Amino acid sequence: MAYSNFTLETVQQEFQLETVRSIGIFSDMEPMDPSEILTIVLEKKVPVAAAIGTEKARSELIVANVLFELLEQFDYRISFFSGIDFNVDVEKGLTGVSDFLVSLSPEQFYLQAPIIILVEAKKEDPKFGLGQCVAEMIAAQRFNADKGNDISRIYGAATTGTEWQFLKLEEKCLHIDMAIYSIAQCDKILGILSSMVEQKA
Amino acid sequence: MAYNNFTLETVRREFQLEIVESAGVFSETETVAPREHFIADLQEKVQLAISIGTEKARSELIVTGVLFELREYLDRRISFFSGTEFNVDSEKGLTGVCDFLVSLSPILSFLEAPIIIIVEAKRENLTLGFGQCVAEMIAAQHFNAEKGNAIPCIYGSTTSGTEWRFLKLEGQRLHIDRAVYQITQCDKILGILSSMVEQKA
Repeated sequence: MAYSNFTLETVQQEFQLETVRSIGIFSDMEPMDPSEILTIVLEKKVPVAAAIGTEKARSELIVANVLFELLEQFDYRISFFSGIDFNVDVEKGLTGVSDFLVSLSPEQFYLQAPIIILVEAKKEDPKFGLGQCVAEMIAAQRFNADKGNDISRIYGAATTGTEWQFLKLEEKCLHIDMAIYSIAQCDKILGILSSMVEQKA
Repeated sequence: MAYNNFTLETVRREFQLEIVESAGVFSETETVAPREHFIADLQEKVQLAISIGTEKARSELIVTGVLFELREYLDRRISFFSGTEFNVDSEKGLTGVCDFLVSLSPILSFLEAPIIIIVEAKRENLTLGFGQCVAEMIAAQHFNAEKGNAIPCIYGSTTSGTEWRFLKLEGQRLHIDRAVYQITQCDKILGILSSMVEQKA
């Protein structure tokens, strides 16, 4: 059992989550203008990622660049990790490799609490990543608590690079935003991610 | 049996390769100056990739960028693929997922012959990636021949993003370059990759 075995249904059951689905939970967040370099990069790389179509290409050509931009915009006061082992509770299946995670700590050499955003990349449809992402968010909640660095909310994103869907976990209440944001609205996506970092979302 | 089961020794035995090891097989190659904004972007990303340290981060933050730059430099005459399944001969163990491969066809939507460069990403020990890379190069040879598009040489690289090593397969003769190129010599690395595409290396 690991993160990737969870579906939205099984993760809700296992961890007794109360789920609230609504459209546009994050729609009021201020957009954040992407840097010129990111705009150029995405213009060129998004079509290539879509053509190649693998999760790996989508992660490399789109997701990593968006998260890197977030890091730059926050002047490296936060850290992000890619492909690290994130083993929190073997018995509960909270183990595995996390695609991407963002921590509020600037420490970039190893993962430090508090973890704030978990990003799960998928090849085809962001919704296929929701269960896995939520399991990782629960693990992050526990990881933060264990380190004595509790924060009230953990956020998540399931993404194909071209489409993004966002989540919020408050204690046992899971908010799923039914809105899908397209990478064409990159300013909106960056705005949402940055409001998550600021814990305003 | 798949690409990642091969060591240099087993791949040599299985496919009766003659190995020629020498220093600086590619040292005469002309350099290619990357565009200025690429360099600026790369410097930041290299630091980050080193800190995170995973193969995934190294692929996302460095290797993809270099291959994308190669495609831009060559006016998109080539295509590159990332994380694509490349199953050529299951009996011989020539199956699995390729980290990166470059084809001389400009089409991105599917893999078309001739494949020219295979890139195998590794977290640290580049020599350990040789077996897998060479197995994929042999598969590319078979793939090209089957499509009636045989080319005399197939090239390979094993890389941690920060360090690059290069290989050349001509028939059953495998040339291993003893030289290790650093990403700080990015112009040299791009030069070698582009001379491979031009089949002059």
